[in-house]
Amino acid sequence: MSAATETALQVLERQLNGPLLAALEVCARCAICAETCHYYRAEPAAEHIPAARGEALRRVYRAEHDWLSRLFPAWTGAERLTDDTLASLAEMAFSRCTLCRRCTFNCPMGVDTPLLMRTVRAMATAGGMAPEMLVMLADAAIEKGKDPSFFRDMFVSQIPDLEKELQASTGDRTARITVGREGAKVLYVALAGVHTIVPPAIIFQAAGEDWTLSIYEASNYGVFLGDVERAKQIAARIINEAKALRVQELVLAECGHAYAALRWEAPNWFGETFPFKVTSLVEKMDQYLAEGRLRLDPSANPQTITYHDSCNMARSGGVIEEPRRLLRAITRDFVEMTPNRLEAYCCGGGGGLVALPEYEETRLKAGSPKADQIRRSGAEVVVAACENCRLQIGDLNHHYGLGVEVSALADLVVKAMRLPSTPAEAEKLFASAKSMEPAPSRDLPAIGGEPRLPLHPPD
Amino acid sequence: MPLVITRTVALLALSFAMGAFALRWRAAQRRPLAAEPFLPRNGIRRAAPGGAAADRAPAKGSPQRGLLYAFTLGMAPWAKESTRLHQLAYLRGIVFHGGIFTALAALLLSPIWSLLPKLLLYALAGAAAIGALCGVLGALARWFEPNLRALSTPDDFASVLLVALFQGLTGIALLNPAWLPALYLSAALMLVYAPLGKIRHCIYFFFSRRFFGLFLGRRGLVQTEAGP
Repeated sequence: MSAATETALQVLERQLNGPLLAALEVCARCAICAETCHYYRAEPAAEHIPAARGEALRRVYRAEHDWLSRLFPAWTGAERLTDDTLASLAEMAFSRCTLCRRCTFNCPMGVDTPLLMRTVRAMATAGGMAPEMLVMLADAAIEKGKDPSFFRDMFVSQIPDLEKELQASTGDRTARITVGREGAKVLYVALAGVHTIVPPAIIFQAAGEDWTLSIYEASNYGVFLGDVERAKQIAARIINEAKALRVQELVLAECGHAYAALRWEAPNWFGETFPFKVTSLVEKMDQYLAEGRLRLDPSANPQTITYHDSCNMARSGGVIEEPRRLLRAITRDFVEMTPNRLEAYCCGGGGGLVALPEYEETRLKAGSPKADQIRRSGAEVVVAACENCRLQIGDLNHHYGLGVEVSALADLVVKAMRLPSTPAEAEKLFASAKSMEPAPSRDLPAIGGEPRLPLHPPD
Repeated sequence: MPLVITRTVALLALSFAMGAFALRWRAAQRRPLAAEPFLPRNGIRRAAPGGAAADRAPAKGSPQRGLLYAFTLGMAPWAKESTRLHQLAYLRGIVFHGGIFTALAALLLSPIWSLLPKLLLYALAGAAAIGALCGVLGALARWFEPNLRALSTPDDFASVLLVALFQGLTGIALLNPAWLPALYLSAALMLVYAPLGKIRHCIYFFFSRRFFGLFLGRRGLVQTEAGP
């Protein structure tokens, strides 16, 4: 047995918790999950049935754990792990499953095939067979976090330009974007690029929020690798920052995997319930709407708008009705795709696939059910609360000629906000906002972190 | 073969199956129960005393509600796209599994069949026979349907046919007790094989649906309106 397969098997043993054991043992191989997978919908072949993917790992598991299989491997289809089978498993888990959980929700047994695929990803990563791009991005994030001083200065130097944009948008000349301000109520964690900083800043400002900006990115490539150690190191930077700043709430940019990871998984990685709340920007905007802190004009977005449920936000995150409430407040022409919510199709870009150019053709093909849904909806704008989804839908738009715009929810909320249209109105808003503005500070916490680099690939 | 011997064989097989399943159940329970895929590298987290799930993320909804849904309405044929698309296959599976429980109940009651009302015996026989028929149809589907065939192993065929044989003989023996020795032998065969082969998925069903229910409940997914 090679070192790679030995390491991979050790990972399998280490991750063999109750849910994984159940997922390995319970499948009846009835195959009614077939059509629930967007890969199978796009290309109806036996290899695209979720049960077939799970079976690939089960064969290895049986060879290790089932004595009947050890005696008569052909009887149960057991198979010893070799370098070749590990490579084949890795290729399958990283390119032909987006971990969307649609099969799990449709399985009479509740088989968690994405959990099996994440286990395979972890095994492949430990065995040195994960896609290089994901490993490189995860390791770069960790390395930068160890010595962030250079990147921190560069990051902070970009803030004044963003503040000017914020002030111009809100009409509030005192509007500030503070970075790492201790004692703020909300710590906002953006993604790569200013497009996930300025619109939320405008919304926070309008809502009178006491907020500050994290120096880190929400995205976490360790999650895509299935590697808990890397995922923990990347997440720890944000968690430690939030603790050091003593914030009450951590608000994450519109990013599906970051939300599912920090909201639902990180407390279990670290074995603690965090002393702050973890929410998505979508939930926060919905809260502002409910509290009357946002003045929204539904006529501001006259186009037909539909919403794509990001798998991590909806099936894995539970954020389903919040975006819909917001959309109904910012447009009079909101239409649903069919199916939607828990039954929505994955766009095909999840699980880190958007970052892997070697699988572009597979990814675009697997996105065809989503492209069909979008086309059938008749929408002119597709909103997605996940950067990965937006990138994938943008690619689908181009590839399938859908002729739609792709937007983040926050962008449309800002568009629908009643911002000052005249200098007089701006002065009035400026005066009212002044009383809510907290004292700005640019002090940064003494912790490691990854800066936002303009050319850094999105999550 | 005399009835007393075959009955003893069946009893021994039943004891073996129960013991083996108990061991499997215990082993599964000892695994950490947090319904999260990742575990720390510094060792396996053990289940909290009493088997409570050690999920540290604050819940958005009710875990109990999720559990209730997972074992009731969540199993309804209309609850999932997959079962709506494969209604016949799903109903065949439900009837087949209903037939198994009926046949097992009939097996346990077999020493007192003569004391039971005829109508009840006929009902049990009918349910077991229909279950057997569904099992055979399932095996045929597994053989002839390309997707199912691609997924199948000899274990799949052996498991379903052993169970169907047991169900069929239960139905026959209920109508004609002279077949009881054959029933006991088929039951013994099935019971010995059950914890070793695919049939053992029956105990993991409860674990899997439990984790799924907790997931749905904690993340506030139960009340969510589905579909268009």
